[in-house]
Amino acid sequence: MSEPMVRFENVTKRYGALTVLDELNLDIERNEKVSIIGPSGSGKTTVLRMLMTLEKINDGVIWVEGEPMTHEQKNGAMVPASDRHLRRVRGKVGMVFQHFNLFPHMTALQNCMEAPVSVLGLPKGEAEERSAELLDMVGLGDKKGHYPIQLSGGQKQRVAIARALAMRPKVMLFDEVTSALDPELVGEVLNVIRQLGSEHDLTMLMVTHQMGFAKEFSDRVCFFYGGKIAEQGPPDKLFNEPDNERTRQFLSAVLEAG
Amino acid sequence: MCRRSKAGSGTMNEFALGFSVAALAKGVFVTILITFGASLVAIAFGLVIGLIRVSPRRPLRWFGIAYIEFFRGTSMLVQLYWWFFVLPIFGVTMSPWTVAILGVGMNVSGYGAELVRAAIQGVERGQYEASTALNFPRLVMMRRIILPQAIRAMLPAWGNLLIELLKGTSLIFFITITELTTAAKLAADATGNYLLFFAIALFGYYLIARLLITPIVRWLERRFSRGFVRELPI
Repeated sequence: MSEPMVRFENVTKRYGALTVLDELNLDIERNEKVSIIGPSGSGKTTVLRMLMTLEKINDGVIWVEGEPMTHEQKNGAMVPASDRHLRRVRGKVGMVFQHFNLFPHMTALQNCMEAPVSVLGLPKGEAEERSAELLDMVGLGDKKGHYPIQLSGGQKQRVAIARALAMRPKVMLFDEVTSALDPELVGEVLNVIRQLGSEHDLTMLMVTHQMGFAKEFSDRVCFFYGGKIAEQGPPDKLFNEPDNERTRQFLSAVLEAG
Repeated sequence: MCRRSKAGSGTMNEFALGFSVAALAKGVFVTILITFGASLVAIAFGLVIGLIRVSPRRPLRWFGIAYIEFFRGTSMLVQLYWWFFVLPIFGVTMSPWTVAILGVGMNVSGYGAELVRAAIQGVERGQYEASTALNFPRLVMMRRIILPQAIRAMLPAWGNLLIELLKGTSLIFFITITELTTAAKLAADATGNYLLFFAIALFGYYLIARLLITPIVRWLERRFSRGFVRELPI
């Protein structure tokens, strides 16, 4: 078997005395779609934030395509990664946030073009072409000149997805991307993610509260509890006949709430 | 004799008045030029020091703090005296105009740097996180993402500060430059008409602030507001 796209090896994250993630071990295969579910405070968002290097880890190593991301090998020893190394490996990962985090002073098109031009050094014309294509793909071809404030929540989130894709990541992280949306706008965002999954070679890792979507879309679902993976498996198994008592309790509470 | 003296004093008054008005006009001109030059210095240094103040590198941050503490924490007039009277002792001699522009500008930049820092730190955390996720190098992130938003937030405070700077330029009298306040005082002394000339000085500052500083700041506010409001403010 080939090496995993992403590997968390004994990764621990602490905030002071509080251990948010406790020696996490998790492999994600190339093109695999993995959903992370669990109660709040279980460390699920922290997994994504560590992989995006938004949080430093206290222990362990995160690997991307067989290369340590948080560390680099120098003279045979593992030392904390330099900024340069971090930026190179981070380029393989893209992220979409719960609150969109679009750049308010730029139009939808400029939001998508900015990083390809000023980070990858793409010529403006090429970046614009790429961005326009992606905005078309997420169904916003007619909103290129709109500023974020002129867009609905669902439209903003689709721009954010296009913006992340414009950097051509291999791994896409979705952090509760529909949680801040009005219920009637959730579908349009999930449709875009669904389409991404079927039409592109992308490894996708998502934290979600949309159990129906997780069940239909994922290859694997991980249930986090107390900073550990309490149970993981194919969605049919995990949702229909979970082994773990915690999983059962969580699912019945969530499904009851609708 | 009596007539002659009367006529003489009349001529004297007219002469003093004409001379005073010319000097006053020159004073207004000097005040505007010094304000303009010192504002540029204050803005440029304020931006650079403000950025240094939030640098991830500790020595740079410390330098920023020391700069701000010095220029904000000590008297502007004493600073001007240092530039003008003390530095020549160490062989550094500058013209009164250079001292005025640099001295006033750098004093104000101490306050400006804090405005810049506050505005940078006030930009939403999500903007920094999105920039990291898109792999921006720090300086590019600052220039393209953070500063355009921070500048919008800091403009009203800069408007205040530059009006403060304008009024602070009257201190350059003490380094031999005849600016608006000095010219008004001389004119009042020469003609005895204190009411008129200090009224002119009072409105002079107001008009310079209202006609030159406020419109520029407003224009910048509009420019940097694109995308933040559905309709641009008037």
